[in-house]
Amino acid sequence: MKFSIIKESYTGSVPEITFGKNRKVSFGGEKSLPFLFFEGEHPHKPLISFEVQDSPPQDYPKELAKVYSSVWDDPVRWAKLCESFGAEAIALRLMSIHPDTTDAKAEDVADKLKKFLNEIDLPLIILGCNHTEKDAEVLPIVSDVARGFNCIIGKAQEGNYKTIAASAMAGGHSLIAMSELDVNLAKQLNILITQMGFPANKLIIDPMCSALGYGFEYTYSVMERIRIAGLIQGDPMLSSPMVADVGFYVWKTKETQAEDENSQWGSLHERGIIWEAVTACSFLLSGAELLIMRHPEAVNLVKYFIEDLISTKEK
Amino acid sequence: MLIIGERLSVISKVVREAMEKRDAEPIKRIAIEQWKAGAHMIEANIGPAEDIGDEIMEWMVRTIQEAVPLPVSLDTTNPLAMEAGLKVHNNEFGKPLINSTSFDPERFIFLELAAKYNAPVIALTVGKGGLPRDAEERVEIALKLLEKAQEYGISLEDIYLDPLVLQIATSQSQAMEVVKAVRLFRELNDPPMKTIVGLSNLSNGCPKHLRPILNKHFLTLLMYEGLSAAIVNPEEVRETIKTVNVLTGKTLYAHSYLEI
Amino acid sequence: MALTGIEIFKLLPKTNCKKCGFPTCLAFAMKVAQGQAKIEDCPEASEEIKSKLRDAATPPIIEVQFGTDSMKLKIGGQNVLFRHEKKFLNPTVLALEVADDDSEIETRIDEVLNSSIERVGETLRIEAIYLKNRSADISKYRDALERILKKAPQIPLILGVSSSDIAIDSLSILKGHRPILHGATAENIEEMAKVAAKFNVPLVVSAKGVEAVIPLTEKAKALGVGDLIINAEPKSIGELLRDNTFIARGALKKQIRSVGYPIITFAWGKDDFYETIVSTVGILKYSSILVLKRTLPWKNLALFTIRQNIYSDPQVPMQVKQGIYRVGEPDDKSPFIVTTNFALTYFLVKGEIENSKIPVWLGIMDCDGLSVLTAWAAGKFSASKIAQFVKESGIEEKLNHRELIIPGYVAMLKASIEDKLSGWKVVIGTKEASGIPAFLRNYVRSKNDR
Repeated sequence: MKFSIIKESYTGSVPEITFGKNRKVSFGGEKSLPFLFFEGEHPHKPLISFEVQDSPPQDYPKELAKVYSSVWDDPVRWAKLCESFGAEAIALRLMSIHPDTTDAKAEDVADKLKKFLNEIDLPLIILGCNHTEKDAEVLPIVSDVARGFNCIIGKAQEGNYKTIAASAMAGGHSLIAMSELDVNLAKQLNILITQMGFPANKLIIDPMCSALGYGFEYTYSVMERIRIAGLIQGDPMLSSPMVADVGFYVWKTKETQAEDENSQWGSLHERGIIWEAVTACSFLLSGAELLIMRHPEAVNLVKYFIEDLISTKEK
Repeated sequence: MLIIGERLSVISKVVREAMEKRDAEPIKRIAIEQWKAGAHMIEANIGPAEDIGDEIMEWMVRTIQEAVPLPVSLDTTNPLAMEAGLKVHNNEFGKPLINSTSFDPERFIFLELAAKYNAPVIALTVGKGGLPRDAEERVEIALKLLEKAQEYGISLEDIYLDPLVLQIATSQSQAMEVVKAVRLFRELNDPPMKTIVGLSNLSNGCPKHLRPILNKHFLTLLMYEGLSAAIVNPEEVRETIKTVNVLTGKTLYAHSYLEI
Repeated sequence: MALTGIEIFKLLPKTNCKKCGFPTCLAFAMKVAQGQAKIEDCPEASEEIKSKLRDAATPPIIEVQFGTDSMKLKIGGQNVLFRHEKKFLNPTVLALEVADDDSEIETRIDEVLNSSIERVGETLRIEAIYLKNRSADISKYRDALERILKKAPQIPLILGVSSSDIAIDSLSILKGHRPILHGATAENIEEMAKVAAKFNVPLVVSAKGVEAVIPLTEKAKALGVGDLIINAEPKSIGELLRDNTFIARGALKKQIRSVGYPIITFAWGKDDFYETIVSTVGILKYSSILVLKRTLPWKNLALFTIRQNIYSDPQVPMQVKQGIYRVGEPDDKSPFIVTTNFALTYFLVKGEIENSKIPVWLGIMDCDGLSVLTAWAAGKFSASKIAQFVKESGIEEKLNHRELIIPGYVAMLKASIEDKLSGWKVVIGTKEASGIPAFLRNYVRSKNDR
């Protein structure tokens, strides 16, 4: 019997997003489920951005400290180190503004950002601290400072999307819209934001990330459902590219922190890296196009994985 | 189709406060409103009511039946409260309805009460350990429930199978599983098994203006599959029920069919 | 896998003739599915229906059993392509590759035997050994097999042999085992299929690409081997994803019987990191057996975890075990919060407590994985049950205070819990998890002021 390849038919496609000013990168644009090159175009590879924080991180475990502690009091040096690791984009997380850390003022952060933008020409994602009110206060100012730099701003949530989306629109940026592990809420938030006049082709969905072993399957399935809705059912409100904020969730877990003594779990160094890499690769398979990661070795692994997948495309 | 008015529920703040203060006026008013809107039965949902549930249920049943000549559907997870309600229920207006048993051994006591008071009972097709996944699982549980009910000597005509309507906002795919379950439940016996839903749970958590729209359209699908009873806000679904009955030929069409 | 009641019902005449002794055809079908009635009891079911029933009883991807009496393994039987549709059945079996000329076979067996790790109440392990006939020598293979049986008599086996002679030699000494036979290719399919049929063991057929595999499964089936497993020999992750997608789609969407078998994947990689990534793809995308080159504790932990995550039931809300959890390093003065064991509730509440940086005792109550309001309405998160939980949890010994924080949604339970839990004060917390950090800060501040 002759086996005919069973192809899925698609009615939607993922918009392509390009960001950055002098150096630009793109992701998204595909017309089939992740990496199924035989049934739809995939004009771009998924993009990995390195996370940098605007103040010395308080919760980076040992394995990350080994890599970044010498540079983390200066975001510019930190970003340059990432660049030397091969970073194609930077995700600058403004942790200093969090009321529970240093509660930095918007103006202070604005100054820091101006300097950063002058020194670093990698495409930039600017992230708040995930505190609804404080982000609503700071991100509009930040969006304005970065006007013309064609950044990605995040994250707009149900409780603060109005101010953040309006300012991202005024600043000419793309926008990450985050909902909490719920396909219906993700759709709703995209509807609300586009109803404000925000262009749908500049929206990125963050369905809320998680780490292997800690809610992983929720993110995985929500991403798959979003991709299926966007591509197969052609739902325009769920066709946006997706981001997986992997490092943030992974490096909070016990598995990335418990010392080697726990012989059942093996070497901490490898364990931390594989925890981030496995989480990231899985979310690429479930539909993410943009990753935010921390450990350079984990990033290299994921890059190799992407190249290995792409190698089938040429055949 | 049997219409059971849902509005006397502990979830409603007005009702909860009236229950706490034993203030009969709001209870009677809501019972009358539902009766006038076409309810055949009034639900008294007092919630888990662990402490003085028996007192509250007794008072609720009396208060409702003082206001309207209808039977009461007794909704509580507290068996003492249930029995108290059954005892004082005035059966001249029809038999009370026990809401509800399920395939959880803790709830078999309600089957016992159904047998003892010769009252029909709602059988929720859920087991112990979580919600049913699909129509199939609901039918499996229904079958087990029917066997269990027969052990207690309850006749199949006195059982209303309830597939458990879930929230559209969180469990979208379950809506059609419920529709399918209603169709299949009927097939479990000849004459067909009776079926019932708590309709408005469908739109629980949805914006207020959407709730009646979702509920009414869902009821249309369920009625098409032969639903026998629904716990609803009678005012909200009055038009739907009359219209579906016209469309399916159950009542004769006239220009003024909605007015009668 | 047997047919479900509804599927049987669809094939019945639906006359409700009652001759079977049941009131309706559906009631009868449900009984047949449960094995409490026989299809022959239906006088109206034609031979055609009965044969249809038999045919339909074969699932689109067959289920294969192997292993030993004390370690039975089941693979295949999947019926969906995506996890959210329905729970993936039969988690991927992880096996370790051992070569027959490896001088340290015993060490390798120990790796397998000592691989088990506890995680969320489950014991996870490498379940099987793939014994590879690298030497191509019949006596070496026999010797290696005996060494395995001596050290691990009950370990499920996959025999990777290069000839039917070696297969026969090995299968003749395996008592109480149902191993998988690996090694059938286009060159030797007839001999190998005959051996598999004779010993009634599952057979792996290998060829490069799905199209090349199909003639082999058809031939093996014609020779009487029903329990087949496919190895399409992918050489890159792209090929693995593509081949497995073709096989699973072919079986599930088009019911193509010749690909309706479980898949075995041999992991590869330039290092252990990459082998883990390759294995991840296998676990996420339809491989039923994954053969690893090497095991290492961190690698096992990652693979066990992803397998456990991806094979969880999407429709049963994931549940957290009942108990008292420490968030941060709580002491006898730390706040005590109680909520239900719906996993999402737990993750959100725990995350927000962490954000607050205030150490907390978090009491998680078994409510069948329901969220707070639903659990309350179902009578599972009631005043008496909360009181009982607090009493039995042992928390009283850990605290020098008697204040219990309950979710804002069940504020109405305050008085009733206080009645049932003498000496305790109930504090009403927030409705949504996002309010927890602010709530906790105020709570701790006002407590300190007192």
